[in-house]
Amino acid sequence: MLASILASGLAVGAVYALIGITYNTMFATSRVMSFTAGQLGMLGGVFGSLFILKLGLPSILGLLLMLAACALIGVMTEIVAVRPVLKSLEQHLYVLTTLAVALLIQQFTAIQWGTEPQPFPRLFAIGSGVWDEKYWLPVVICAVTIIGLEYLYRRTLVGRAFVAIAEDNFAARALGLPERNLRIASYALAGAIGGLAGFAGGQLLLAFFANGPLLNFYGFIPVALGGLGNNRGAVIGGLALGLFQQAANFWVGGIFSSVAVFTLFIIVLLAAPQGLFGAAASRRV
Amino acid sequence: MTITRRGLALGSAGAAAALGLARPALAQSEPIRIGWLAAMTGPSSAPAVGFNRGVLFAAEAINAAGGVRGRRVEIITRDTQGDPTKAVNATQEMISQLRVHAIWGPTNSGESLAVTAIMARAGMPNIHPCVVDSLIDVRRYPNAFRVAPSNTQWDDAVRGYCLQRVNAKKVAVVGDTTGYGVSAANASVAAFQRDGAEVVYKANIDATQPDMTPDMLRARTAGAEAIVIWSVSTGMIARMLNTRAHMGWDVPFVGHPAMSSGEVGTLVERPQNWEKVYAIGYRSCSFDASGNLPPRTAELVGRLRGKVDLRDTLLWWVASGIDAVDLIAKAVEATGSSDKPAIIRHWNTLTKYPGYFGEYSFTATEHNGYPTEDVVMSAANSARDGAFALAPGYG
Repeated sequence: MLASILASGLAVGAVYALIGITYNTMFATSRVMSFTAGQLGMLGGVFGSLFILKLGLPSILGLLLMLAACALIGVMTEIVAVRPVLKSLEQHLYVLTTLAVALLIQQFTAIQWGTEPQPFPRLFAIGSGVWDEKYWLPVVICAVTIIGLEYLYRRTLVGRAFVAIAEDNFAARALGLPERNLRIASYALAGAIGGLAGFAGGQLLLAFFANGPLLNFYGFIPVALGGLGNNRGAVIGGLALGLFQQAANFWVGGIFSSVAVFTLFIIVLLAAPQGLFGAAASRRV
Repeated sequence: MTITRRGLALGSAGAAAALGLARPALAQSEPIRIGWLAAMTGPSSAPAVGFNRGVLFAAEAINAAGGVRGRRVEIITRDTQGDPTKAVNATQEMISQLRVHAIWGPTNSGESLAVTAIMARAGMPNIHPCVVDSLIDVRRYPNAFRVAPSNTQWDDAVRGYCLQRVNAKKVAVVGDTTGYGVSAANASVAAFQRDGAEVVYKANIDATQPDMTPDMLRARTAGAEAIVIWSVSTGMIARMLNTRAHMGWDVPFVGHPAMSSGEVGTLVERPQNWEKVYAIGYRSCSFDASGNLPPRTAELVGRLRGKVDLRDTLLWWVASGIDAVDLIAKAVEATGSSDKPAIIRHWNTLTKYPGYFGEYSFTATEHNGYPTEDVVMSAANSARDGAFALAPGYG
């Protein structure tokens, strides 16, 4: 039982963590919580199944096409749902616009792809039982993504520009950084990461149009737990969420596990409103 | 010319008499208009697409044979897209503007719940195949007749198979978290307990839950000898079957027809994972141990060959569509009228009406027309031309 909790808990936790990172990546350059993050995850599974299983493309080519398609949808989100409302962030219109785009994506997928879950291909056919590929693949992809992002943000000029925009938008612009282009690039990156989450968890979640709202909800929890904008916090929060959710499935079962998850979430936020790893908000006086 | 009151009264009476005399002549030559509320597009369109093939086939066959007492059958279809609001609009259009003589459908319970009362107020003869029990109530809806099993009949068939043929006295009952899944699982648990069986595990599982191991482990630990499924979620069913295989457990799955859906076949990791899965089916559309359909169904399949594609649909959908049109046509033929009360009165007298899908019997107090004994269990992985092999134990 413990092995099963660990295997599937870490796997779904890694998927939630990647969705959390998607939220953070979009938030960093725009200060917008885009509710398309879960839909990008859903599309990762659908595109993976479409390219590899339906069209019969090699896995690596399918992965690259999926990344490109999700990145494109990330950019479209920025153009359609984020850019028009950036000037009035305090009115939180982005909630409406990003939810509208999320709904559009979901309905379009339902019409074109179908409303029944469809299979996702086995990519390596390595492992069985609790060591099955569907359990370790999301964890590996999550680790690779985190390492890649750390490298990007710490060692590359573009990554440092992202960080600069995230730290102080006005100062970065004053230094001549192309804020709009960087924001578009960050949405493309977020699209790719979101797609990667769905691709990594495709064998667990299947290629299913209704996965979007599920990933939106459960992907948001690591962000809130780990602190907005904190990728390491999102990973720890995501993995903890996955493990707790799976343990709750064993202990209390079915629908009560969701109740247990959200109860704990509320308790944590009451105790640490800024998230477990977020810094307390300071106010200049 | 002066119009007097007497002249006006006489003229009006004459016109009324002339119209009254003309009506029967018109009614006897006009087409028999059958309203067909079909969810032809949208997420739950597969059944309606199948039913529609039967409806069109039956109408063409009747018209090719000269119609009913010289009257053609006209099918008036409205695509409800599975949306109760659209079904309500289409029903009102059929009653008020199109003036149909009877309505077939809707074919899903959500839409039917929305339109049944509207049809009852208009006294519209209605046949439908929806399973929700409350849709048939002769006191509130004396116009509504069911030509498919009710939920209770499904439940009876599943329970009977578990207790008498699988000989499982300890069962696990699993539904999804939809309204249907919760109510069907609760009803199933109560019925099993009433029959003296032990429900060792009951759960409502979120259909998107990625890992079914916890529930399957609990069911096994509780000693379940059969797992009863009440869900239309093919993803959830396939995950449970895959988990059963990983656990090396050969417990039979018995329950909802969705378990025999082709989607489950694409989602199981190996074809063997779909073995020992018995879904609700119908004797009229089941192959026996020799691989033969009942003679009347075989005759129908022969007639359908080359005209109706059965490879991507279910035979009972097509057969039921044919039966619905035939039931309306036969009522007009027998009564010599497409008068609504006459059609309803005729249906109330039917005993073992030989349809292709089943032998229907209705009375003034019972509008559930499908025979319970014809609801059987099928081997879920045995689909061939829309029909299934009988599950083991039927001899």
